[in-house]
Amino acid sequence: MREPQWLAPASLEEALALRAEHADATVLAGGTFVGILMNQGFLAPAALLSLGGVEELRGIEVRDGELRLGAMVRHRAVERSEVVRSGWPALARAFSLVASPRVRNQATVGGVLADADYASDPPAMLCALGAKVVASSVAREREIPVDELITGYYETSLRADELITAVSVPRVDRAVYRKFRSRSHEDRPCVSVAAVRDAGDVRVVVGAVAGTLQLDPDACALASGRPLDAELAAEIGARYAEAIEPLSDVRGSAAYRKRVIAVEVRRALLELEAG
Amino acid sequence: MTPQPAWMRAVLQGTVRYSQDHALPGMLHGRILRSPYPHARVQRVDVSAVPEDVVVLAPDDVVHLGRYGCQIADQTVLALERARFAGDPVAAVAAASEEEAARALALIDVDYEELPAALDLDEALAGTVLVHERHQISDNDAAYFGIRPEEGTNVCHLFRIRHGGAERGFEEAEVVVDETFETAAAQHAAMEPHACLAQWSGDRLELRTGTHTPFNVRSDIARVFGLAEDSVRIVCPPMGGSFGAKTFVHLEAIAAALARKADRPVRLVLPRSEEWVTNNRHPSLIRVRIGARRDGTLVAKAVDSSIDTGAYADCGPGVAVKIGYSAVGPYRIPHVSVDSRCVYTNLPPNGAFRGFGATQAAWASERAMDLLADRLGLDPLELRLKNVLRDGDVFCTGETMHDVHFADCLERVADAIGWREDRSGKGLCVLLKGMQTPSRASIAVEANENGGYTLRCATAELGQGSRRALSLVAGELLGVEASEIRFPNPDTELVPYDTRATSSRSTFMMSRALEEAVRDLRQNGTRGVGEFHNEGGLDPETGQGVASSHWHQGAAGAVVRVDEETGKVDVERVHAAVYAGRVVNRPAAELQNEGAMIMGLGTALFEGVAFADGQVTNANLSDYEIPSIADLPALTHELVEQPGAEIHGLGETAVPPVPAAIGNALGSLGIQVTELPMTAEIVLAAIDRRDAKDAR
Repeated sequence: MREPQWLAPASLEEALALRAEHADATVLAGGTFVGILMNQGFLAPAALLSLGGVEELRGIEVRDGELRLGAMVRHRAVERSEVVRSGWPALARAFSLVASPRVRNQATVGGVLADADYASDPPAMLCALGAKVVASSVAREREIPVDELITGYYETSLRADELITAVSVPRVDRAVYRKFRSRSHEDRPCVSVAAVRDAGDVRVVVGAVAGTLQLDPDACALASGRPLDAELAAEIGARYAEAIEPLSDVRGSAAYRKRVIAVEVRRALLELEAG
Repeated sequence: MTPQPAWMRAVLQGTVRYSQDHALPGMLHGRILRSPYPHARVQRVDVSAVPEDVVVLAPDDVVHLGRYGCQIADQTVLALERARFAGDPVAAVAAASEEEAARALALIDVDYEELPAALDLDEALAGTVLVHERHQISDNDAAYFGIRPEEGTNVCHLFRIRHGGAERGFEEAEVVVDETFETAAAQHAAMEPHACLAQWSGDRLELRTGTHTPFNVRSDIARVFGLAEDSVRIVCPPMGGSFGAKTFVHLEAIAAALARKADRPVRLVLPRSEEWVTNNRHPSLIRVRIGARRDGTLVAKAVDSSIDTGAYADCGPGVAVKIGYSAVGPYRIPHVSVDSRCVYTNLPPNGAFRGFGATQAAWASERAMDLLADRLGLDPLELRLKNVLRDGDVFCTGETMHDVHFADCLERVADAIGWREDRSGKGLCVLLKGMQTPSRASIAVEANENGGYTLRCATAELGQGSRRALSLVAGELLGVEASEIRFPNPDTELVPYDTRATSSRSTFMMSRALEEAVRDLRQNGTRGVGEFHNEGGLDPETGQGVASSHWHQGAAGAVVRVDEETGKVDVERVHAAVYAGRVVNRPAAELQNEGAMIMGLGTALFEGVAFADGQVTNANLSDYEIPSIADLPALTHELVEQPGAEIHGLGETAVPPVPAAIGNALGSLGIQVTELPMTAEIVLAAIDRRDAKDAR
């Protein structure tokens, strides 16, 4: 074990060049995830590529009606941004429910997507909103839908030479985010549900229960162009619970999560309908 | 605004030098290499790859040293032939920086041969795997601590109470409740980890260590190194919290052995994750049988308790004793039988934790009382009031109770939560907790040349406010402001003997000793010494004698709401009443009550050390959950005083009754939970059981 090499680019161009050059470097954004892994000895990176000095990654702006969050925007900034709160209130809320202010002052938008930790709040909400991650390399830039970015536990479809530089979030008619915690208020979700109603269609994403975000377009289609009453909401909840194979961890067993998924999907849909 | 005492100002300004802040010139930084296996033969420790400028402590370096253990000397400085838990120290290093020390750890190569392990109480009680091949108990320990091991088993201590004849009593009973209750291991999670700085001068050892048991550490460390006790000096800087974690030897033996080999001072500060393999709270499995007549008169109780003390006993035998009589509860019961075992497992050691067994005991005893009330169709409050100990009653230990306030505490919490208006979603718990008996406290008071006085005593500051409390008492006795009292850190070279700053005993015991010391000072001019001791003790075979020279008494009431679809419990209100006798420092006493209730809430709902194959799987404060500020219910409390009464310690009293009060509140809704923590999942399973029963 040796000290990791410290790479601290001052511009996006430099960051992308270093990313291309150091395939074995671990990207360091807010450090709330990498720090825990390093402290516990699960991660001993050869190099750390710190994005703290890259100004271009810090903006919050609206571009062509879509919200664009830079990869190094902190959770706390999303939560408090007037732009986000007025146009994407459910997103501001999802970020506001992460851990504690200390963590939110540090954790970043790019980090929470790139670490692909199943027990994070923002990915489910971003996915339900139809957000796309902007992945950049020296050679090109591409957009990846959030559910295609996260491919498994701590695994993404990012290529070795790519960095997440931003995420762009469409505006929708209505959205809700429900975080079910089985323990402390500052805990990660045991089950999270993000639900969106847009142009008559409903999209429900369940997070924190498996390696990937859970969507069931067929179940959602039941609510297409129809008002969500208690019965329909319960049916969609039951469909989600049936389809998902949840994991077991300290926050709850697989069997328990199935129960909660049915309840929380139903509640999210009714909340969505109530507006 | 009241001016802040100097101590508070220092805490807030960050100028307090806690245990981990002490440093010496030329000091090295230590780290510990730990066994990854819960039970393994340590075959070879190869340190050849470690750079020469790093000092390595290997089993060969400590093989000639003595054993330690506050009640059973069962621990060696490093694991010698066998590592007995995943986390057992097998080697240690000291290097110029913490980072270098961490890197050196990775260069030590250890060959292990895995052995079958006893990974929970059931496996340990089955006795197929013996954690210690034979019990390391000297005749002296057996006599002094009344340790009674069961040879050929993992039971290192069996404490019994025989009062009346339990089996005869059960024949008289018209209703019997028989239920088993469990609690999980919990971590103290003090803000500051364990920290120790060791320095040798020739054959003299000085340890600046975060402990509130300086004299116990001194005698154990002297035994390890074969030194006279006065060749070992223990200085106790203030601690950033302990909650019992920093009692008895944890890092001191390793730090001292490293420093001796290095011939340099060595500081050892535990990384947070290692706290979970250093000292946790005893998990317990307690079967309670309680019998009553139809009118609610208690006639018999049998308690069969086992606690998991981990791979080394630490103070587990003492915890087993305290659980033994606490689980009987503050009730008049003519026929009582208790068997309380302290059991070795291949898990991290468990030790003192705020409440010292009273939490586990109250959980079992007070949940059983509510189940009994339910069976009898009686109001749980009335059942308690009918049987609760009152002045002059005899406890199961044969001692007569004085200065008794259980009924008063119960009535107060019942009133506070509106018990008599509506009992739905509400629960009560009453608590009896003993204080270290026998024990001895002494203190010296010196008149300073430039005015004011200095107190010299072994009472360490761990955030409990002892400095302030004793300074206030001294100021009152000496007729000066508390700010005129100096209170240096405990130092075994400079302070007279004290049993230890545990068991909520310091304010009471030390203030009594202080009265003597001030009297002595008045007679002798510039220095006075005072001593106070309490007498008693229990026969380990019959549990008869004096368990406690005075009693910590309290009660808690809780109001809950339950999301019945998910089992998530929302605690809306907790109220505690704590008997204080006489309050010395009101703001601090109130904070003790609040902090204690919050700790009780964590135990009730969230906290449990999780294991997989003997490994702790939640050794961080993200996966191990303590309550956050957003989890707190309306917390209210009262300090019960009595004109002319003795000071009663109150640092722990409001912890143990909280889980059972919450459990009983769930019970009032028909949701009967028997294990802690009451996670949402466990509560949902209890709701399912209730609904299945209702459907039948």
